[in-house]
Amino acid sequence: MAKTVKQKKKLAHSQKIAFMSFERRRNFEGGLFAIPWLFGFICFVCIPLVLSVSVSFYEPVLTDLYSFNKPVGFDNYVDVIQDPEYGEVVFSSFGTSLAKVPIIVAFALFVAVLLKQEFPGRTVFRVIFFIPVILAGVIMTYLMADGVGTLSVFSNIVATSEYGSFLSGSLMSSIGTTMWASSVEILIFLAALQSVPAILYEVVELDGASAWESFWHVTLPYISPFVILNCIYALVDSFVDSQNPVMKILNELTQEGTKYGMASALSWIYMLMTLAVILIFVLLTRRWLR
Amino acid sequence: MSEVTATVENTSEVEKKTSFSIPGLIKKYENLGYKAKKKINFVISRIFLYFVLIEMAYLFILPFIYIFSTAFMTSNDYLDPTVQWIPTTIEWSNFSKAFVALNYINSFIQSAGTSILSAVFQTLSCAIIGYSLGRFKYKGRNLIFFFVVLVLLIPPQTTILSSYGMWSQLGMINTWAPIVLPCIFGLGYRGALFVLIYMYFFQRIPDVLDDAARIDGAGPIRLFIQIMLPLVKSAIAIVCIFSFVWHWNDNYETPTYMFREDIMTLQPKLEKIRTFYSEYVTAGDAGATVFDKAMSEPMLFAGCLMVMIPVLLVYILGQKQLTQGIERMGIIE
Repeated sequence: MAKTVKQKKKLAHSQKIAFMSFERRRNFEGGLFAIPWLFGFICFVCIPLVLSVSVSFYEPVLTDLYSFNKPVGFDNYVDVIQDPEYGEVVFSSFGTSLAKVPIIVAFALFVAVLLKQEFPGRTVFRVIFFIPVILAGVIMTYLMADGVGTLSVFSNIVATSEYGSFLSGSLMSSIGTTMWASSVEILIFLAALQSVPAILYEVVELDGASAWESFWHVTLPYISPFVILNCIYALVDSFVDSQNPVMKILNELTQEGTKYGMASALSWIYMLMTLAVILIFVLLTRRWLR
Repeated sequence: MSEVTATVENTSEVEKKTSFSIPGLIKKYENLGYKAKKKINFVISRIFLYFVLIEMAYLFILPFIYIFSTAFMTSNDYLDPTVQWIPTTIEWSNFSKAFVALNYINSFIQSAGTSILSAVFQTLSCAIIGYSLGRFKYKGRNLIFFFVVLVLLIPPQTTILSSYGMWSQLGMINTWAPIVLPCIFGLGYRGALFVLIYMYFFQRIPDVLDDAARIDGAGPIRLFIQIMLPLVKSAIAIVCIFSFVWHWNDNYETPTYMFREDIMTLQPKLEKIRTFYSEYVTAGDAGATVFDKAMSEPMLFAGCLMVMIPVLLVYILGQKQLTQGIERMGIIE
């Protein structure tokens, strides 16, 4: 008797939800999974962001940062834009960041393809290519201060080769340290490469494709979303890197305290520019995303 | 006579065999069977592989070797230009001094506590939001995706002071909360990147699996935990390892929120070694006031080594999980 009542209750319950189609209900439930993140987003991102926007329109002092007593309108932004030093630094750091991305991603893909093969000692190599991630943070600053970055083979090549004058841009001499930034990308590519089904390779090998052809026609199309992901990651990473000159200026301005309004303005301009670059990049590469 | 000619022929044959010419080799190679060709190709590609990899690895391992060799040097060795990589005597006291200066055990607990908690929470919470973004199409999904990308793009410098104000109003400065709490909701240090990684991995799983599990009577939460999560093991391994390592190495946000002496993590403590060392010297040796900043360098790098080792261990241990998970990914499709 009790059992049937329970079943009836269950039935009634399921009828209540049944007004949604299966597909809609599934998607509705999927949306529920996003709620915790949204809550965190509002608490830990939106509130500080709004505060920081409003600070950029005031002239705060460190003792009472959020009193909002001295509205200055767009003065902070005008100050930043008119300062010739900031403009130069921002644009040059944009240039180097953009130039670094293809080097990092191509190198990471190359190493990942090599590391994907089965050979004795590949675990050792995987650990070695991860070392720069472990060294990140303060340790890297100490190393740079000691000049380890210039110890790399590439700077020697640049210094000795007859094309030295042609190649001796800041990018070439720091190419070794640029490559140190590619560890994360190597790992993401490795994971992506493992997800390519082995059967595809067998099929093209039967059709007589060489390893080179199968790379261009099977591997690359299959992992193209990950290439885009890595490009975006490399871009963001170099934009937000603490060695980036813009970040150094921001640090100096925030440490002075009195210029926090200006620092906010500069960081907002910089962020909007970054956003624009990424948006353009995503729009250009949308075709390969899926 | 016949014997002589025979020997002449013999020697010429021997000459033919030992003569080394590239066109001859190519001809020989072309005459080989499929299997032998494949074997030779394999050997050549392996030689090339090791050659390239060792060269690259040298580039990557160089900073590590530098730290390792400097950590064992005496100050004299460090300043002596004739001592390049191998120290003349091994100086173990660098490590004991760094151990004291870092207040190692306490700082280690702080570092490990924040990093492990953050890594665990981020691995779970980023999976939840990544699952939602990767497998469902609901109203506002694209907006949320845009927000995730936005979070990825905001430099921490933009919000650090306002966040600091917020946390200090909540009275949570000098606790683990400002680091760990955002991680519970899938944010935190580089949380957006982890969400994107999960998203791409979840997108790869075929929809048929969903439907099959639904028909067998799995609810949405059960479907997520029992079916979907095991399928993205490689993503879990990646996120877990990276989250741990990055939180361990973070030298911007963590010291901003946790700056009290007894709650400081290892990374900011490293900077204290230099000042600590100069005090140490003047307190101990009466005549040793000539030591300048450079003299503390071996000790600093000994400290660096001690900070790095736990992370290196985590990666070496997690590496197996990582590859196993990764290799399992291939079976899905």
